[in-house]
Amino acid sequence: MSTIRERSPASYWLAMPAAAWMLGVVVVPILLLIWVSFWGGRAFSTASPLTLDNYARFFANQTYVKLALSTIVHTATLMAVTGVLGYCIAYFLVMKVKSPGWRLALFLAFIIPFWTSTLIRAIAWVPFLGVNGVINQALMAIGATQSPIEAFLYSRTGITLAQVSLYTMMAAGPVVYMLNAVAPQWREAAMTLKAPPFTVFWRIVFPLTLPGVVIGQVLVFLNVMSDFATVATIGGNKHALLSNLVLLFYEGSQIRAASVVAVLLMICMLVGVVIALRVVDIRRLGAER
Amino acid sequence: MDTLAHDPVDRVAAPATTQQLDLELRNIRKRFGDFTAVDGVSLQVGKGQFVCLLGPSGCGKTTTLRCIAGLEEPDDGDILIGGKEVTKDPPWQRDIAMMFQDFALFPHMTVAKQVGFGLEMLKRPKAEIVERVRQVLASFEIATLADRKPASLSGGQRQRVALARAMITEPRILLLDEPIGALDYSLRETVMLELKLLQQRTGISFIWVTHDQNEAFSLGDLVVVMNHARIEQQGPPEEILQRPATAFVAGFVQGNNIFRGRVKEVLAGSITVEMPVGSFLVPRPLAGPAPTPGTTVSFSVRAEQITDLVSEGHANRLSAVCTAVEYFGSVRRHVFERSDGEVLKVDQFGAQAARIKPGQQTTLGWLADASVLHRWADR
Repeated sequence: MSTIRERSPASYWLAMPAAAWMLGVVVVPILLLIWVSFWGGRAFSTASPLTLDNYARFFANQTYVKLALSTIVHTATLMAVTGVLGYCIAYFLVMKVKSPGWRLALFLAFIIPFWTSTLIRAIAWVPFLGVNGVINQALMAIGATQSPIEAFLYSRTGITLAQVSLYTMMAAGPVVYMLNAVAPQWREAAMTLKAPPFTVFWRIVFPLTLPGVVIGQVLVFLNVMSDFATVATIGGNKHALLSNLVLLFYEGSQIRAASVVAVLLMICMLVGVVIALRVVDIRRLGAER
Repeated sequence: MDTLAHDPVDRVAAPATTQQLDLELRNIRKRFGDFTAVDGVSLQVGKGQFVCLLGPSGCGKTTTLRCIAGLEEPDDGDILIGGKEVTKDPPWQRDIAMMFQDFALFPHMTVAKQVGFGLEMLKRPKAEIVERVRQVLASFEIATLADRKPASLSGGQRQRVALARAMITEPRILLLDEPIGALDYSLRETVMLELKLLQQRTGISFIWVTHDQNEAFSLGDLVVVMNHARIEQQGPPEEILQRPATAFVAGFVQGNNIFRGRVKEVLAGSITVEMPVGSFLVPRPLAGPAPTPGTTVSFSVRAEQITDLVSEGHANRLSAVCTAVEYFGSVRRHVFERSDGEVLKVDQFGAQAARIKPGQQTTLGWLADASVLHRWADR
């Protein structure tokens, strides 16, 4: 418990350093980005007139619009796969692994890869997915296929596979937390009220862990939407999502176009988070025990 | 009830046939690793009986209850509910309901949803569920709480919701794990009376787990005292109060003085037990043979049976020093120290004038018949 009262002068002063930092590195750059996205003319100048031309140009191009839609579809696929997989892993860790030692060991096994950077983890998939990669060799060794499957690397499938491995734990983590808060006697009470196991899960456990599912989905959504590194390395420049487009425009010094895509990406993310928060009130998380 | 039976084994042979019993436990055993939680518990519960499992924490009473519920599977032994063998059946297939110690209300469900859950599981029609929930909420006087969630309820309200939720399916047996332990002390007496009346009205058998002997003795038709995973004694409350079968029961039940000694002589109606502080007459066991001379035995004498007004009839006498006088409502308790350092408790009605003062050496006496011989080891 803090001894400093809410809304007292002292509390405002203490919040100042963090607020100044946030203003400098988050708020101002975003405002700049939005401003630049409306610049008309050709000169890179603060005197540029403000127009909607940049946005009009983006939406006039069918390729860009399709790219935006496919980004949303791709993200939704990732959310569905990591959601189901993450829930299963979380359920297994919390409900089925009884020994605390094993639970910690498994948890670390899942977590330790996250100590390396996203880029490295993405690149690490290349030797797995390639034509002579581990997966193809394994498939041929067990006789599942005669010739190597080329669809893994430099393909949408490969990107999805790699991203599932990268982001499943993000979907699982919040569920682990929520599952731990489900008291065993709630499940037992349901059982003594004649509920068979699946009903216990569906009526008691799942609703109580729903906030964790939603938070996990938000994390996956935000990360997949903004992940250009995995798409670039595994997709081999053959595939792109909105975030890659930002990079492409930036490298081509098309700052206005890059800003437009960045702003649209942010709008998509904001809308996604708003929808998620309508489903579950994160502020009330864990308060219901 | 056969008041002569001393031994739980005798009671198992009681007349009721299996079909008339709501519950029968046959030699239940349950181990958790090296720890034996329940060790050979046998119990018969007749139709609509109120049974209290009484004992200190860790004695196996809750594990026994969980075995009956199906939340634990015993390693050994049989469980019969209503004459049907259910030992391996999961909880949702048993004709029971359970009330948990902290009530285990579902935090995300409203009171009405919560109470209707059991009927929903039984796949009753929606209209019937709504109607039954309305009736039950009204009869438990919680109709105004129907749309509230558990977090906003008081302890007493939660207790009612938990009870309503368990009772709505009208199970054959209701299992209650310390059901009023979480309530304020002032509420407990009222709730106890309500529950007793509810049990009598519905005819549902209650198995009530508690460590509080007042609960057990005021509620139970049958009190089962457990210790170290075993049943020490089972019988009606007055039998356990008046005739504790073991030194543990005598010590666990308030107001007993326990004496340990060696059998010196076996007479026609009684035996003499020799101790450093004296030699005492104790009636022979009501059934079975008497202990042979030389056997180590224990017996108990209730504190209110010992008097400082010693007369001819008081065969057993003892000199002790009063160390303290305590008041428990209507009773005045004198704590004495025997010459061997052990404590002796003597109760008198508070209404009587105080005769004994702390520091006073007093001769105390009790009738031979007031002594109750416990089971001894090599029986």
